[in-house]
Amino acid sequence: MDRRTFIKSLTAGLGLAALPGSVWAFDKQHRITIARLQYPGGNDDPRPGALRRLLQEVDKRTSIEVDTNIPSISISRTELFDYPMVWLAGDRGFDPFTDDMIADLRTYLLAGGFLFIDSAEGLSEGPFLESVHREFDRIFPDRDRRTLSRDHTVHQSFYLIDRPVGRVDVAGNFEAYFEDNRAMVLINGNDMLGALARDTFGNWEYDVSPGGERQRELAFRLAINVVMYALTVDYKADQVHIPFILRRRNWRVD
Amino acid sequence: MFAFGDYNTSDLLWLGDWSPTWIAFLTVIGLAVLAFSAYDLRDLKLHRRLTLIGLRGLVFGLAVLLLLEPALDLRQISKVENHVIVLVDESQTMGLKTDDGESTRFDRVRQALEEFGPLEEVGADDHHFDYFTYGADLESTSRSAIDGLEPTARAADLTGAIEEVIERYEGKDIAAVVILSDGLDTGAIGRRTARGEDLDLGSRQLLESLDAPIHTLAAAGEEGLRDAAVSRVLHDDFAFVHNKVSVDVELQAIGMGTKSIPVTLRRDGQVLQTRSVQVHPEESTYDLSFEFVPEQIGKEVYTVDIPHYDGEALYENNQHHFVLRVIRDRIRVLQVVGRPSWDQRFLRRLLKRNPNVELISFFILRTDRNPQVVPQDEMSLIPFPTDELFRDELGSFDLVVFQNFNFGPYHMGRYLGNIADYVRDGGAFAMIGGDLSFASGGYARTPIESLLPVNLPSSSAASAVMDSEHFNPELTEAGDRHPLTQLSFDPERNREIWADLPALQGTNIVHGATDDATVLATHPEITHGGEPMPVVTVAERGEGRVLAVTSDSTWRWGFEHIGEGGTAREYQHFWSSAIRWLIQDPELKLVRLDMHRDIIAPDTPIDATVRVFSPDYSPAADVEGVLSIEHTPLEALTDSSAGSAEAYDTMSFTTDHGGEWDLDRRFNSPGVYQFEAQVSSPAGPLSDDNLVLVTPDFAQYRDIVPRNDLLERIAHATDGYHAVLPDFRPRRLQFNEPRFVEVHRREVVQLWDNIFLFLFILGLLGAEWTLRRRWGRL
Repeated sequence: MDRRTFIKSLTAGLGLAALPGSVWAFDKQHRITIARLQYPGGNDDPRPGALRRLLQEVDKRTSIEVDTNIPSISISRTELFDYPMVWLAGDRGFDPFTDDMIADLRTYLLAGGFLFIDSAEGLSEGPFLESVHREFDRIFPDRDRRTLSRDHTVHQSFYLIDRPVGRVDVAGNFEAYFEDNRAMVLINGNDMLGALARDTFGNWEYDVSPGGERQRELAFRLAINVVMYALTVDYKADQVHIPFILRRRNWRVD
Repeated sequence: MFAFGDYNTSDLLWLGDWSPTWIAFLTVIGLAVLAFSAYDLRDLKLHRRLTLIGLRGLVFGLAVLLLLEPALDLRQISKVENHVIVLVDESQTMGLKTDDGESTRFDRVRQALEEFGPLEEVGADDHHFDYFTYGADLESTSRSAIDGLEPTARAADLTGAIEEVIERYEGKDIAAVVILSDGLDTGAIGRRTARGEDLDLGSRQLLESLDAPIHTLAAAGEEGLRDAAVSRVLHDDFAFVHNKVSVDVELQAIGMGTKSIPVTLRRDGQVLQTRSVQVHPEESTYDLSFEFVPEQIGKEVYTVDIPHYDGEALYENNQHHFVLRVIRDRIRVLQVVGRPSWDQRFLRRLLKRNPNVELISFFILRTDRNPQVVPQDEMSLIPFPTDELFRDELGSFDLVVFQNFNFGPYHMGRYLGNIADYVRDGGAFAMIGGDLSFASGGYARTPIESLLPVNLPSSSAASAVMDSEHFNPELTEAGDRHPLTQLSFDPERNREIWADLPALQGTNIVHGATDDATVLATHPEITHGGEPMPVVTVAERGEGRVLAVTSDSTWRWGFEHIGEGGTAREYQHFWSSAIRWLIQDPELKLVRLDMHRDIIAPDTPIDATVRVFSPDYSPAADVEGVLSIEHTPLEALTDSSAGSAEAYDTMSFTTDHGGEWDLDRRFNSPGVYQFEAQVSSPAGPLSDDNLVLVTPDFAQYRDIVPRNDLLERIAHATDGYHAVLPDFRPRRLQFNEPRFVEVHRREVVQLWDNIFLFLFILGLLGAEWTLRRRWGRL
């Protein structure tokens, strides 16, 4: 760093430090965060800190500005609607939701909310996912759960993804509930946050199998794609993107 | 007493009230008696036995006859005349010359009607001749009145005339219908039956329902006729701008020999396309079509024309004018977003759901501050096509939205002038707030600043350009009535609705609105120069419009409002109305010149209204304006040397209390009349234009070739007689005999109530008794 650059940086730093608190607040209010859902029974935070890691990575790799404070909220109308994207994680079965929770979650999702469900069980059909399916049969008794195809926008919202993987690779493609063409709920059985979690010393908390560190990187990409999808939905399905994406997919060696 | 000579018809009646069962029973009894007699008299000689059986049978028969009470019904009657209905075509084509070059088709009809005098005399006892003329309607007339008539009707609705006859003569006796026409039926049968084709079932059933023959006398043949005509032009009333339009043309040529006829399509007098049609004597109808792409919104006058050739029967049908309303197809919106956000996500969702919007979105997903740790070909990113969007294709968008977008990193400074020009030429631009927008987006002292309806702070310090507090915007008086912010017609209720919406989070700081802008909503606390700071502001810029929304959290009016138990209707209404206002949806223009008909005949009152609104969309009463009218002669639409648009008139007007002014004018000269209504407003002159095409109705002249085949088929379907005038043999016209009679006198004579018949029966019984005794039987 030369002297001129140093002085510029110093000036900028001092300038930023001198900004009133309200400006930071304004700056913060447009930042994207993800709320973690609390629910009765079970373990709603099986990978503590991993969501913050995800948002840090989103901030680093994309233009999205994030707020890495992860609020933990209950499934209620008064809290849900402050956060258009929420995350539901678990590693064991949980108790049935109350009728109010069912109604509020349904209203939230149909109004435009987005929910990502991440199983930390490492099983394709474990007790957590069984509980999830049980509750969603109550939330959307009139809708089918569908498996996402490989060419769905979530697989190309930022990175080009061939196969959704996490800490493990046992569950194949995401399952989803749709409102028109928008996937409002994505269900993942591969423990995405498990691949992202670090301990307090910054080391990876879990090994990733079977693909090792390459699989961890792919899990990061997928997680970023999920956040990007929540914000842009079918943007990458616009006609203008299709020739580029097709061309690049053809170039790639799987 | 009566005399049989007083009656001219009679019938035998049976007055006895005997049922057929009783009659059958009596017959069986009689036959049994005769059979018993034959058995009883079996030992007598045959002639004696037959004599006695015959006498007994006769007596029994006469007795039964008495029981049946026979009578004679004597009547003096006369026939009731039935109706011969004569339908005479009085449409314009009947005034065309026939092959002799002197008499018209209608003259031939007049000559034929002279033959009807003797016919009426011959059938005077049986038939009554009812004369009608038909054009668009059926009119009762007389034979003598037809003599002095000139054919001027602009339609020849033969089908309608027949339907009217059926209705008028319901329950009456029709002897026959006689049609004198050239067969050019503008009604249903004529339209449904193409030349050379048979009548369809519906047409035949209609004709047969008359229950009488239809005789058709064709006024003229095709011989000697020479004409080329644009007989039909099929087009939609509306077309979408930048979308292909098809116009189907039917050309009719008869007596034109073999030649190539150029057919030209013109728009506002300018040649668009020319097609050549090779005509030959074996065929009279030719189809062709034009395809073109309208380039601008509004009304346009199109003309399809062919040259004038010597000796044509008429030239009025050599061109056909029509008006096409070119409207917007789908609203093309360019949404440019500096970074993904919830504000962008919900606005995009709203726009994508609107079937009238074609949305082109560009989101900046990665900036230079983001390190590239993954090869480019493993990402779905595409380059930001600034050249294509802001230089090549900019004019194709109806609206450009900068949503929390800063132009600096993308070297877009050179395009900002293009955007300003695009708006002033009639485009639309909206800037939505955020930390990359307004002053913090670096737009101060750029062409965009001159476009915006708000003044940007000159300082770029963050504290001077942004505020983070939650707030509920407050409506201004203009906001009470402006379509963007009018969620209820009641201003008080409207303000309540706005107050109940979720608060916005943060705003860009602006230094008030520009002088010519309209502020619809303001910040409740932040002020500038003593005035509340604008939050939602609109303005006219040249021919275009702009909108500034200083917050990036309007999405909360939808999503969060649902969480509070409300709906997203307010959010949807605000943005949908904003788009409609920005693109100058005709329904939202401040000056509107509505022309309720596109084409009118000369000397017909024009039905037009000028409506003026204040910027807040309340009716603008007592506003003075000027209406200028230009006239382009009809001939100039096909021949540029025949004249051009010239100022025709200028009228001053003042709107009434409802903000309206009705134009009450008639125009005698055919042509295109172009209107422009102008009023002045604080934002500068406002105007709207419209046009009307004044042209005589030549519809009846589109097809002038006689349709004798149609007349022949009509006659054939009802066993009628068909002839082509002047070769007409009146005796071939067959009429139904009258079905109804009138009874003048009637008497019933009872045949059974007679002493002689009674004595005759007694005599027969006596003879039987005497012979039986003589022949040895008791």
